[in-house]
Amino acid sequence: MNTIIEAKNLTKVYGKRSTAFTALKDIDLCIGQGESVAIVGKSGSGKSTLMHLLALLDKPTKGQIFIDGVNSTKLGAHALNRIRNRKFGFVFQQFFMNVNDSVLDNVILPLKIAKVGRFKRKKLALDALKTVDLDEKAKNKAKDLSGGQKQRVCIARAIVNNPEIIFADEPTGNLDSATGDKITDLLFKLNKEKGVTLIIVTHDEDLAKLCSRIVRISDGKIISDQAVSKDQRKESSKRWEKEAARVKKANEGKAN
Amino acid sequence: MKISDLILTANHNLFRNKTRTFLTILAIFIGSFTIILSNAINTGVNDFIDKQVESIGGDGYIEVAPKAVYEQLEALTSAKVQEYSEDAKTVENSTFDDETIKKLSAIDGVDSLNPYSLVTVDYITTNKTDKNYKVTLTILPDDSLKIDMVAGKQVSNNTSDYEIMITEDYVEPLGFESAESAVGQELQIAVPNTLKCMMTSDRKTCQTVVTAKISGVAATGVMSIGAGTRANTALYNYLVDLQYDGLPESQKMAYMATGHIDPVKEDAIRKAFEDEGFTIMTIDDEVGMIRTFFDVILIVFNIFGAIALLAAAIGIINTLFMSVQERTREIGLEKAMGMSNTKIFLSFSCEAILLGFWGSVIGILISMAIGYGANALAHQTFLSDFPTFQLVVFNPVNMTVITGIIMLIAFIAGTAPAYRASKQNPINSLRYE
Ligand SMILES: Nc1ncnc2c1ncn2[C@@H]1O[C@H](COP(=O)(O)OP(=O)(O)O)[C@@H](O)[C@H]1O
Ligand SMILES: [Mg+2]
Repeated sequence: MNTIIEAKNLTKVYGKRSTAFTALKDIDLCIGQGESVAIVGKSGSGKSTLMHLLALLDKPTKGQIFIDGVNSTKLGAHALNRIRNRKFGFVFQQFFMNVNDSVLDNVILPLKIAKVGRFKRKKLALDALKTVDLDEKAKNKAKDLSGGQKQRVCIARAIVNNPEIIFADEPTGNLDSATGDKITDLLFKLNKEKGVTLIIVTHDEDLAKLCSRIVRISDGKIISDQAVSKDQRKESSKRWEKEAARVKKANEGKAN
Repeated sequence: MKISDLILTANHNLFRNKTRTFLTILAIFIGSFTIILSNAINTGVNDFIDKQVESIGGDGYIEVAPKAVYEQLEALTSAKVQEYSEDAKTVENSTFDDETIKKLSAIDGVDSLNPYSLVTVDYITTNKTDKNYKVTLTILPDDSLKIDMVAGKQVSNNTSDYEIMITEDYVEPLGFESAESAVGQELQIAVPNTLKCMMTSDRKTCQTVVTAKISGVAATGVMSIGAGTRANTALYNYLVDLQYDGLPESQKMAYMATGHIDPVKEDAIRKAFEDEGFTIMTIDDEVGMIRTFFDVILIVFNIFGAIALLAAAIGIINTLFMSVQERTREIGLEKAMGMSNTKIFLSFSCEAILLGFWGSVIGILISMAIGYGANALAHQTFLSDFPTFQLVVFNPVNMTVITGIIMLIAFIAGTAPAYRASKQNPINSLRYE
């Protein structure tokens, strides 16, 4: 398995002198291509901080991050932007959509930034929307969608540039369990079918157990880093599927 | 992001908050409208003056008359009381006798000087009307002069035919339906013989009626130089002969002249002529005052416009700061997705520039609507005698430059908010809890 992200001695200190706060301390982490990694921990433990560093959204106070073997701390702003634009996809707890724009326009945004041509980007965005089953909502305004649909649009936006890694920070945090399940389903489908590496920040143990690996942090330190056994995964996956089916049925019942 | 996408997106973003954007554009519009309309009026006036200047041949053309004539005119128009002084040289009745002409022609920079005698005609008429009309007839001695014609051509000095050009206001009284229909028609000129008329009370017996061809109709002008009813040399000389026939040559004195000088040496030549008792009239003398007047008006209005634009610029800064504030998360997301700081800066700058652009464009459109409306109205009323005078002229170069300057001002106003947006830390914008 190829290493896609490697973090060495990551330390992140917020603030200066008297207000200085060490959010991460000497983190070492190696993530392989196609892995699905859950970063789990209590609120304030440093999960988001770690994700932001790994996603090159912020610079570590100390330490290095290698993306495909390239030391990112030595790269300029342009190269960093390029990596995020081409290789990464982002899903956040909050949707961060332009609610007055159409669904399609929201999904197109990363491609616009990537200077993809008008027709090609429209096609790619529609493909991405099809993946999340929202292609017929393409022309709707984003504000007319439900919470779950909005998060699916965010996933479409995260995958539209065909990324190698998807960073998801509490992707189901804002959703009820049924809609959350649908989102989870989508993410793992991408992981399985397209080999997209998943890095999911969550405090939801059930979601974490669907991942191939769980990294637990507390007070800015990794306290455990375990692979989830195949059986365990299967079981939670089954349980999860059952639950999803039940919810689906209940929803259909409601609709009828 | 591609530049085209950047501009389109910026425009799209602008109209997300329609009321705010509309009000900001309105503020810019007030400034742009003031500047654009006053510039259009100035261009209109200057265009008209330029046409007039062209109508008399432009640079270097002079008309000369005795100083006394001008002093009398000035005394009429200015109520200034002047002190008598023994030193003041009073020159009376300066005329272009041979000696004077030789002297004046020898002045450095004087290229030509053509004196002519004054002809006083009694009336002009045509066979299309019973009425006779008074007219001041002068000569158009120089074919190189270009007259602003409404129809036909100016008189030619290359022919022995008698040619005359009339001004527009004579077309209807002389019985013509239009300026075009007057061209090529015959016109009768009644010229009295000075000697005969002194000896009889029956005017008809001392008049000669000369028939001339109307070569064209000149636009009504605001200046005396080059304007008016003018005869070609053949006709004029014939009229002079008829008028002064029988009188001694010394009576046939010329005290008006036209000529050409080197414009660079104008001041020295003017002084030399003054010393001989003559006053030179150049085109600049006549139009200078008008131009200065309208230039001052333009400056005043441009200052108003500039103040309005300054206020509008503060509006732009405010609008954009609000916009940056509101879109903190969006900016953070765009940065996360790989948009560079430069592009973020450009996208907000673009919005500022577009605000300026729309403010100018709306200013131009509304100025044009009002300007052309006023033009049409003016030609039905107080400008009906000046069909070639456009009250407002929208010069595309001027409009482009003004739009450019307003866009530049808007850009400068937008730099502070755009800079703040570009320096925003995506992490801070994407944090929640
Ligand atoms: N910009 C910042 N300045 C100061 N402290 C911060 C900043 N961002 C995060 N922190 C602190 O760092 C710690 C870790 O934050 P975060 O990574 O968001 O935690 P999690 O995502 O696990 O809830 C928290 O105590 C938080 O208050
Ligand atoms: Mg967090």
